[in-house]
Amino acid sequence: MTRHEQILERLMQHLERFKSESGELHADADLINELGLDSVNVMDMLLEIEDEFDISVPINMITDVRTPRQLADVIVKIESGE
Amino acid sequence: MTELCITATPTFNSSPQRLADFATLAEALDYAAEGCTGFNFHDNRGRLLAPLAYVEVRRRALDAARRLKSLGLERGARVAVIADTDPAFMEIFFGCQYAGLVPVPMPIPMSIGGHERYVARLDRLVESCEARVAIAPTHMVRYIEEMPSVDTLAFHGDIEAFRTLPVEEGMTLAPSGPDEIAYLQYTSGSTGFPRGVEIRQHAIMANLRAILASGLAVRPQDRCVSWLPFYHDMGLVGFVLGPMASQLSVDYLGPREFAMRPRLWLSLMTRNRGSIAFAPPFGYDLCTRRLHGSDIDRLDLSAWRVAGVGAEPVLPDVLERFADHFAAAGFDRRAFLPSYGMAENSLAVSFAPLGTGMSLDHVNRDALEQHGEARALDDPEAAEVNATSFVNCGHPLPGHDIIIRDSEGQPLPERHVGRVTIRGPSLMSGYFRDPEQTRKSLGDDGWFDTGDLGYLTSQGLHVTGRHKDLIIVNGRNIWPQDIEALASRLAGINRGELTALAPPEEAPEVDVVVLVQTTLSDEQERAALVKEMAAGIRSEFGIRCTVSLLPPRTLPRTSSGKISRSQARRQYAAQLREAMGAAPTPSAAASS
Repeated sequence: MTRHEQILERLMQHLERFKSESGELHADADLINELGLDSVNVMDMLLEIEDEFDISVPINMITDVRTPRQLADVIVKIESGE
Repeated sequence: MTELCITATPTFNSSPQRLADFATLAEALDYAAEGCTGFNFHDNRGRLLAPLAYVEVRRRALDAARRLKSLGLERGARVAVIADTDPAFMEIFFGCQYAGLVPVPMPIPMSIGGHERYVARLDRLVESCEARVAIAPTHMVRYIEEMPSVDTLAFHGDIEAFRTLPVEEGMTLAPSGPDEIAYLQYTSGSTGFPRGVEIRQHAIMANLRAILASGLAVRPQDRCVSWLPFYHDMGLVGFVLGPMASQLSVDYLGPREFAMRPRLWLSLMTRNRGSIAFAPPFGYDLCTRRLHGSDIDRLDLSAWRVAGVGAEPVLPDVLERFADHFAAAGFDRRAFLPSYGMAENSLAVSFAPLGTGMSLDHVNRDALEQHGEARALDDPEAAEVNATSFVNCGHPLPGHDIIIRDSEGQPLPERHVGRVTIRGPSLMSGYFRDPEQTRKSLGDDGWFDTGDLGYLTSQGLHVTGRHKDLIIVNGRNIWPQDIEALASRLAGINRGELTALAPPEEAPEVDVVVLVQTTLSDEQERAALVKEMAAGIRSEFGIRCTVSLLPPRTLPRTSSGKISRSQARRQYAAQLREAMGAAPTPSAAASS
C-alpha cells in the first residue's frame, strides 16, 4: 500500500459520517456539493488530519481541493516537504 | 516543541499610557514606538512565532512608506493588502499611514475548493476601490496574480517582492492628515455588492478615544488577546488599532487556527494573563462545545475583565452556557460586555456598563408585536405572560447619539421600537465612490440609518433585529428569533439548525416559513415533526405557518457562520418555483 493509499483510506474513514442517502462515498466525490460538508465540518476534518498526521495544512493548499483524493494528494505533498 | 529564545512583548509599558489622544494613526504609532509593548503572533499550536514591538512596527512601516512612495502613486491611492494575521499586514497598513496612502484590508480565503470564487471576490474588491497596489503574504500571492484586474496595478506581489523595492534615503514623508482617509473597510451588505466604508483619521481617532477611555476604561495593566480577522472592523479597529493607540500588548491567533482549535484562544488568555478579548457569540459557543474536563483544568481565566460580545445579535443562552462551563477556570460572568456597533461608525456605538455582565430587559411580546411597544415585565411576571427579552447594549459613547425613529423619520419615545439611527464624530464620510448608497444611509443631517430595529430605555439601547428580517402580519411585527426559539423548543432542535422568515411571494398563503435542517429519514417521523412544529407556532402566535425540512448542512450561512435569512429566503423561493413548474399546485409545493 502506498502512502497515498494509506492516507486516502484514513480520510474515507473520517468522512464516513457524511455518506449521503443519494451519493456513495468515493474518492472522487465532491466534498461540498456531493457530501455536503459545511465550513465547520471542513475545519473539523482538517483538525483531525493535522493532529493525526502531525502536519499543518496551509490555507492556500486547500482552496483547490474538491475531493478526498485531492486532499490526500495535498497531505502527501506536505509530508514529503514539497 | 522548538524552544526559541524569543519572548512576547511585556504587558507593562515603559512609557506612560495615553488613550488615543492623537490626531492620526501615524502619530499614535510614533508614541507607541517609544515604549516596549507590541503585537505578538502565534502559530497553529499556540507557539509564539514573532513578537513585533511597536518600535519595530514603526521602523518597518517607515521603510514600507518609502517603498510605496517610490512607486509614484498619487496621494490617497488605495493599497489592497490580504489581511492575514501576519506581521506583513502591519508593515503595509501602517506604511500607508506614513505615506498618505489608503490601505484596504482584503479577506483571506477560508473555504475548501473555493479558489475561483475567492479570486473573483478579490478582483471585485480591487476594482471597487480602484486599488493601485495589491500585496499578499507569500503563500497567497498567486490569488492576486490570477485576478483579471492585475494589469491595472502599479505594483503587485508578495511581501518579499515588495521588500526588494528600493528605500530612498532622506526621502521626506507626509503622513496621512486628520481629514484624510485612514483606511477603507469593506462590508458585504445585504445586496451582496461590496461597499467600501470610508473612515477618516479624525473619525477613527474619535472612536478609539471613546472606546478606550469610556467603553472599556483601559488601564496600563491590560493585555489583549484576539483571533478576530484583520479584515473585519472588530479585529482591525478593536484589536489592532485599539491596542496600538493605547500602547497595550496583544496576542494574536489566526481566525482559522481559532476555528480549528478554540482551546488556543483561552490558553493564550491563561498564559499571558489576558484581560480584554472579544468574540461574536459563535466564538463563545465554539469554546463551550469543544473544551472539556482536562482542557478546563489547565485554564485560568481570572484575569479576564472584559469579555466583549459583538458583531451579531447577542444570544443570552450561549453566554450563560459559556459562563457556567468556564466558571471552574475562574471566568467571571460579570466580565461579559455586550456592545453595539458597525463598520460605518468606525467600530463601536455603545457598550453595556462595565463589570456588571449581561442584563436582559423582559417585555410583553403582544404589546411589542401589536403596538411596537416594549412594555417592561418584572421577573415573576415574565414567567407567566407572553414574554420576550432583549440584551441591554448600554448608552451611546460620549459625543455620540442614538435616536429611534418611526417610518417617517420622527423620533420615538423610550420603549418604542423603531429604526436605530446614530450620529457622532466616529461616522464614515461615505461609501467609497458610491454617492447613491451614501445618500440613502447618511442623510444631510448627519444621522446614519443603521438598518437595525431597537428601542431605548433608561438603561440604554436594546436591538431587536434587522429591519429587513422583520415578519409583518396584518400590521403586527413579529421577530423571527421569537419563532425560532419556540420552534427549537418544540422540536428539541438546536437554534443553528433552523430559521424563520417572511414568506416569499411564491407562498402567499402563509405568514411565516420555517426552514429546518434534519437528518430524519423516516417519512412518518418527518411528517410528525412538520405537523407538531406548525401547530405549535400557529397556536402560540396565531399565524399561518409552513415548515419545510431540508437536508443537513443546507441552510446558507455568512462567512461568520450566521444563517443568512435573506439568502435562505431566495433559495426557498427558487425551490417553490421549481416545484410549481413540476406540479402546479401551490399547496403541494408549500407542504413538505
